[in-house]
Amino acid sequence: MQASLFNTSPGKARITSELRSLWAIVRREWIIFTRYPSWIIALFIWPLIFPMMYIFTARALSGPDGSGLDVFIQNTGANEFIGYIIVGTTVWMWQNIVLWDVGFSLRNEQMRGTLESNWLSPAWRFSHLLGPTGPQIVSMGMFIGITALEFGLLFGVRLNGSVWMIVLMMLAAIPAIYGLGFAFASLVITIKEASAFVYLVRGLVMIFCGITFPISLLPEWMQEVAKWLPQTYLIHGMRAAAFSNAGLPELIPDVIPLLLFGAFWLAVGYSTFLWMERRARQTGAIGQY
Amino acid sequence: MSDLAIEARQLVKKFPARPGSGDKAKVGEPVQSPRKRRWQFWKKKAQAMFTAVDGVDLQIRRGEIFGLLGPNGAGKSTTIRMLCTLLEPTSGTATVNGFDVVSQANEVRRSLGTVLAGERSIYWKLTGRENLEYFAALYHIPANITKRRVDELIERMEIKDRANELVEKYSTGMRQRIAIAKALLARPPILLLDEPTLGLDPQAARNLRSLIAQLKQEGHTILLTTHYMEEADQLSDRIGIIDTGKVIALDTPEGLKRRIDQKEIIRLELTGWHDDLNDKLKGIEGVEALTTHQQNEADLWEVNMHAQNSRATLPRIVEAISGNGTRLVNMNIVKPSLEDVFIHLTGKALRD
Ligand SMILES: Nc1ncnc2c1ncn2[C@@H]1O[C@H](COP(=O)(O)OP(=O)(O)OP(=O)(O)O)[C@@H](O)[C@H]1O
Ligand SMILES: [Mg+2]
Repeated sequence: MQASLFNTSPGKARITSELRSLWAIVRREWIIFTRYPSWIIALFIWPLIFPMMYIFTARALSGPDGSGLDVFIQNTGANEFIGYIIVGTTVWMWQNIVLWDVGFSLRNEQMRGTLESNWLSPAWRFSHLLGPTGPQIVSMGMFIGITALEFGLLFGVRLNGSVWMIVLMMLAAIPAIYGLGFAFASLVITIKEASAFVYLVRGLVMIFCGITFPISLLPEWMQEVAKWLPQTYLIHGMRAAAFSNAGLPELIPDVIPLLLFGAFWLAVGYSTFLWMERRARQTGAIGQY
Repeated sequence: MSDLAIEARQLVKKFPARPGSGDKAKVGEPVQSPRKRRWQFWKKKAQAMFTAVDGVDLQIRRGEIFGLLGPNGAGKSTTIRMLCTLLEPTSGTATVNGFDVVSQANEVRRSLGTVLAGERSIYWKLTGRENLEYFAALYHIPANITKRRVDELIERMEIKDRANELVEKYSTGMRQRIAIAKALLARPPILLLDEPTLGLDPQAARNLRSLIAQLKQEGHTILLTTHYMEEADQLSDRIGIIDTGKVIALDTPEGLKRRIDQKEIIRLELTGWHDDLNDKLKGIEGVEALTTHQQNEADLWEVNMHAQNSRATLPRIVEAISGNGTRLVNMNIVKPSLEDVFIHLTGKALRD
């Protein structure tokens, strides 16, 4: 009997078929995503609600005549305090959503039972983590777009900068933000308690990265910690790009560290995945729920 | 090429014992004391291990249906998971289609169509067709072949008019057929089916069994697990009986039944059963392998036992159960079934 209908020739044929597998995974996620559009409501509400908490706090603290805002503007150098806040909260929500969406993409399949059938196929296994990231990035782009739209319409926030520079900052941040998501996704397969990690990360980002205030207000040691979180650079660069009309030269000091962190977190994410795959073969974790 | 489709030599799988799962660590395995744990916190911990598969040898020939039969927790699924490369054996080796399950895992995956966890193994939020197209891409089936093959399988599994409906609207039997179609996509020579009829109604189960028989006719080698005796009996060319991780008997269904040919099975139905009767009946010479279970009706018990010579033992049995409120409702002497073979070998019933 014929061993199989494939010849295991490495090279081009192999790469093409792996790309087709990856594409099939992206498509699968996209079909399911668009078929059950319950997220639409969340997509309009969250971008508004979460920053509003901070915006109203800021208004309350600024005094009845709003004079406190001048101090804020002096401190931050931002002439737009609402824009300042929504960049911070949006980055925070981005990382948070990635940890839930990408971070639990494998875990959800594990619980549904489909992770095992995916694992049974000869396709490259990392595709199963990479694939769902595509639709996630698209939906995140929608999320950020809607944020801009809502605050533009309802709060009169006006962009003072180039959309392309904002996109550049976001692209530069993708490897770091999603690399962390990959590492996390692999951890929760073998160590179920790892979900507590989400709260740690978003807590860190919330306090250290200055989502609603300038880092310089933090105590010295906290500023040191902030330097090691990529979100710090993303928030800083995004604010500059969106509201201070910063161009490429001004953004480079944020882009370079973001890319370095990106390389680091992608490597961590991929090695955690390999570690998980090996460990799951010992413990049978892929099939447990 | 070897005429064995699957060969396993002394396969062993140990798992870290799950706390509270009732898996007992075997005597002699390291179980650490709390005190030791404190000091070894940062070192590699010696963990209590639980042996799920304990030295399984299998030689499955090309073209046969081999049934792996055993009670819950016997190690059937674990054995299958090692063969399909989801789990790495703790020790021992196995080859599938001539490929080693550890060092040639990818070739093994290409040689296999596996159905694990049945209806849960496909996407309920996709249609049947979308599921098959998706898995075809995962199995690297070229795009120009995919459509034809998916159509073929949809036709064959008799889901043509519902192929474009979401799987969540399907019946369990239809989902199981999609899962099997998915396993057939890459035309693998060997199929591993883990409890394929679990949860199906009798009609759907019958259809599925005839499909499995057909697949064998087409030249597939099939390893299936089940805890239904009749299923194993009806489908399998050979059966391995597995209990607590060990294969305790391996033969054709007829061969297995022949083992207790000389025996007769006495089946009683009683009301007013009480536990003293257990010892009383076991005390009768020539009576062995006594099992009891309560029927669905409130106070009706079925009692099975094996006897060398029913003529000699029957009067003593009737004597033993009379009185004390116990009443004999029905009595049969039956031909041994595979179930009785199992009881004979393990001393317990296959299903509790
Ligand atoms: N990943 C795992 N980690 C720890 N223990 C496991 C794991 N998988 C299975 N076991 C244990 O190993 C034993 C054998 O399980 P297995 O699933 O192979 O049994 P089975 O014969 O398929 O039973 P069933 O009829 O219930 O499907 C069980 O006691 C089970 O609890
Ligand atoms: Mg099982």
